[in-house]
Amino acid sequence: MAADPSWPLLLLDAASHVLTLLLVALGLAVTFGLMGVINLAHGGLVVLGAYTVFAVERAGLGFWAGLLAAPLLVGLVGLVLQILIVRRIQHRPLDTLVATWGVGLAIEQTIVLVFGAASHTVAPPFTTTVAIAGSSYPAYRLFVMAVALAATGFTLWLLLRTRLGLMVRGTVADRRLAAATGLPIRRLDAGTFAYGSGLAGLAGAVTAPLMSIDPQMGTGFLLPAFLAVLVAPFAGPLGTVAGAGLVGGTESFVSAVASPVAAQLVVLAGAVVLLRLAAGRRVGRER
Amino acid sequence: MSREPLLPSLALWLALLILPALAPGWLLSQLAQHLCYGLLAMSLAWVWGQGGLLSFCQAVFFGTGAYLFALVAMGRLPGVPDLPLLGLVLAPLAAGLAAFLAGLVLLTVRLPTGAPWAVMTLVLAVIAERLAVTSTWLGGSNGLAGIPPLALPLPGGPLELVDPVPTFLFVLAIAASLHLLLARLIDSPRGALVRAVREDPLRAAHLGIDPLRVRLLVFTGAAALAGLAGALFAAQFGFVAPSLLGLGLSTEALVWVAVGGRGSPLAALSGALLVKTVEELLGAWLGPGWPLALGLLVVAVVLLFPAGVLGGLLERLARPGRGR
Repeated sequence: MAADPSWPLLLLDAASHVLTLLLVALGLAVTFGLMGVINLAHGGLVVLGAYTVFAVERAGLGFWAGLLAAPLLVGLVGLVLQILIVRRIQHRPLDTLVATWGVGLAIEQTIVLVFGAASHTVAPPFTTTVAIAGSSYPAYRLFVMAVALAATGFTLWLLLRTRLGLMVRGTVADRRLAAATGLPIRRLDAGTFAYGSGLAGLAGAVTAPLMSIDPQMGTGFLLPAFLAVLVAPFAGPLGTVAGAGLVGGTESFVSAVASPVAAQLVVLAGAVVLLRLAAGRRVGRER
Repeated sequence: MSREPLLPSLALWLALLILPALAPGWLLSQLAQHLCYGLLAMSLAWVWGQGGLLSFCQAVFFGTGAYLFALVAMGRLPGVPDLPLLGLVLAPLAAGLAAFLAGLVLLTVRLPTGAPWAVMTLVLAVIAERLAVTSTWLGGSNGLAGIPPLALPLPGGPLELVDPVPTFLFVLAIAASLHLLLARLIDSPRGALVRAVREDPLRAAHLGIDPLRVRLLVFTGAAALAGLAGALFAAQFGFVAPSLLGLGLSTEALVWVAVGGRGSPLAALSGALLVKTVEELLGAWLGPGWPLALGLLVVAVVLLFPAGVLGGLLERLARPGRGR
């Protein structure tokens, strides 16, 4: 990543890293931040999105059909997951963690069985480059950044400016009161979880051409995204944007000047410090 | 469940004790290694079931013990004589120290039982594995091979633990005594303190119990137990690799404990023995289908048997005649 020493390109790479992370973290922010469900299958759902694009492209339907199919399919998987599993154990957070980890493992191994353990590549739909600061930059990376920003904007709009978003926020604020006023909280739960899962599918699908995809890559997505959601300085999707900026920015900067392992250590240490500072404020959200 | 059931414990240890008279050597060697995994499961049951701290990094301490044993036994630690038995003593100390330091940092985040704690332990496991892979002193991704076996200083000359029967009996003796110790600790008033902090840290604090101190002690103690298990494993296996201290083994241990039952060390240990035995029988046949089955098994157990399969059975056995 740090092969090119030019600063504008380094900044652009960092922005690309932050926005990719944001896209993964956004889905987590919906399932964990809003519903309090710690979904360890989120990494597996991202991988599923990437492989959906791969399968659709291999079937000859092209990249764009895959990009459309991935969030829909993964959102559907999330819906089934919520109804069959998460709904029944949501009140036992540690069990939810273990069960969703099991689901993630099952998704990963199903992909191994169907597509094999080896890595695959997805060809980007366009290979044009843009001249930035005297060097050429792949336009597809800019497209991914735009998708991340658009998905964040759409989620914010949905949550803050629509009636549906108001109902979801009402359910988050006080479940019993929401149920008493006649809100369909079970359907809202299922829908929110499916939406968060769909975002994971979109994240996997749109980033698939940027790297080689393999069934094991889920954890690499899951951990930084979780840290981004955890260190979010304030609640809600905007907090996740800030959290992703903090984690992703630190990670790409330390990776560039030192090493990826050092970057992980710095991010973990930073997360501990931030959580400690935030502990007093968030004590009500324990468990 | 607070009391460790006596009869099932005795039955398991007696059944294992007479096994050398019946079973072939290869099975004994295999079981001796699985008993080490069983000790790891016991340590996780202590932290998770008793302490309420779901840990995704228990194998980090197993691996720390294994690596330390390897370093001592191979004479790679400057200033430390290359005595395998000394490694067996130092391994739990090193693992405990590592957990104490990690716990000091992570547990003071003050949200230890929820998602932040669990995710932090996940990250810790990933970092530990990557550190081991990048360290040339620890052999990098190849690990360390050629670890000498344990040698017991018996009156009739030192006995090297190479043959299956003495090795199995040695590991069995250690595992049974550690199980007895842990069961007594869990049944003691100190064990009740741990459960009090698990149930309601705030109320425990009001009663004059320091939740941080109790959690730190449990985390450290369980890590020491895992470290000893790791050292015993390395002594038999003769080889340590970074996979011993990563996320993979940590989550595998989580499966054993979830399937067996996290409430009792006996259930957790039996869970490990059971799952590992089934893996030996079916793993080769199922191939990549085995992890898939494992994932689905965990989901099913969490949904249908919240206390674990064996834990639920033991609870039912223990219920008549006893309140709780």
